[in-house]
Amino acid sequence: MANADTPAPPEREALPFEDALERLEAIVDRLEHGDLALEDALATFEEGVGLSRRLGEQLGGAERRVEELLREGAGLATRPLDLESE
Amino acid sequence: MSDEGSGSGEARQGPRVLRVSELVAALRDAVESAVGRVWVVGEVSNLRRAASGHCYFTLKDDVAQLRAVMFRGDASRLRFDLEDGLEALAFGEVSLYVARGELQMVVRDVVPRGVGALRLAFEQLRARLDAEGLFDPASKRPLPAFPRAVGIVTSLHAAALHDVLEVSGALWPSLPLLIAAARVQGEGADLEIIEAMQLLATRPEIDVILLVRGGGSIEDLWPFNSEVLARAIARCPVPVVAGVGHETDVTIADLAADARAPTPSAAAALVVPDRRALFERLLRDERRLAVAIEAQLARARARVASRADALRHLAPAARLAAWRARLARSGDRLRGVLEAQLADGRARLAVAAGQLDSLSPLAVLARGYAIARRLDDGRIVRRARDVASGDVLAVRLAEGSLEVRVTALRPR
Repeated sequence: MANADTPAPPEREALPFEDALERLEAIVDRLEHGDLALEDALATFEEGVGLSRRLGEQLGGAERRVEELLREGAGLATRPLDLESE
Repeated sequence: MSDEGSGSGEARQGPRVLRVSELVAALRDAVESAVGRVWVVGEVSNLRRAASGHCYFTLKDDVAQLRAVMFRGDASRLRFDLEDGLEALAFGEVSLYVARGELQMVVRDVVPRGVGALRLAFEQLRARLDAEGLFDPASKRPLPAFPRAVGIVTSLHAAALHDVLEVSGALWPSLPLLIAAARVQGEGADLEIIEAMQLLATRPEIDVILLVRGGGSIEDLWPFNSEVLARAIARCPVPVVAGVGHETDVTIADLAADARAPTPSAAAALVVPDRRALFERLLRDERRLAVAIEAQLARARARVASRADALRHLAPAARLAAWRARLARSGDRLRGVLEAQLADGRARLAVAAGQLDSLSPLAVLARGYAIARRLDDGRIVRRARDVASGDVLAVRLAEGSLEVRVTALRPR
């Protein structure tokens, strides 16, 4: 089985945001189409929910992630942004 | 010129005779003291840039012209380029170049007429870089739809940074932002901006870089009109978005960037996706998934239910009862047939028995015949010659039997 309708392998964890979103849309369309065998449909549904949850996590919470990037010796370093100091 | 003099005892004075050098030197002194340092308005023409860096040109108007030179040191301080046709005010000293006997102005400074020096410089650079293709729309890179992280080059004290942080906080607060600080005005700021950009470009997760600063005069924004900065932006491996000054400010950096935003806030909005819209989309998708799978399960359940119904009709107990009923009906019919056959058989048996009776040896005996058997071996005697006189025979009669001795034989 090698077509796009079938459930995807677990390595999809590291899928870039945009690709994961596209995959989710494809899954929703496929499931709504209604012509998958029940087992495939259930596996596809599971994959879809998993993708949605992971995407939601990437959208993240209220915590801000702002850092300053600077040269440190021969390399780079980050430090939390400090707007008060000079 | 001759002097009509009175013939007195004074020595006669002839015309003044000067050596050339004396004359020219005298003229030089006269010019320098009469004019000295002056502002001259005119048009630049015949411009020639020597290898030494000194600029030789002519300042002219409708009627007259004056040779001029601007030495390398002074010329390099000009923000714009001298060019033929430039209407300008030149400041410097006028003198006479003794060796050649030529009037010449040594120009110390030039101010363009009708347009500011900086604006002129901007226009000149813009035309030059445009001709090189640095602003070609085809070379502009598309911005990533979902950057993993955003790099920002700005001054840490700038309001621009505050604006960017506010806008990104509203759209997607947890999206990582990395800031590389740089001065955004003053001499050498353009080099700091380049350094900051290059720093950010080394981080693989940074998919787009913002170059932002707030509004200011053309002088304030001048670092963003730097040629080296424009080239660095064009070379940057990561797409660059410029949000410099106010809406009406256009800088060389704006033109060289992959995208231009009118303000720092707009630049942030261009680059940071709105996660609220994405959350809603995910919710909708999950709902659609649930509805779709539920529909599929319902269809499956319905199919199972109808099969179960069909199955119930075919269940062993029902089948058995049906069979039993059929069997019972068949059994009755069979019995009926058998009994009929039996009765029929009995009747025929009676007939046959009757027929048999008449053929039976017993019936023969009843007519007076007897059956004779040899006593010794039981064989039936049919011929007289089969026995000898004196043999004992058993004779069967219709009723009872006799043992007799043969006394005489008659063969026929």
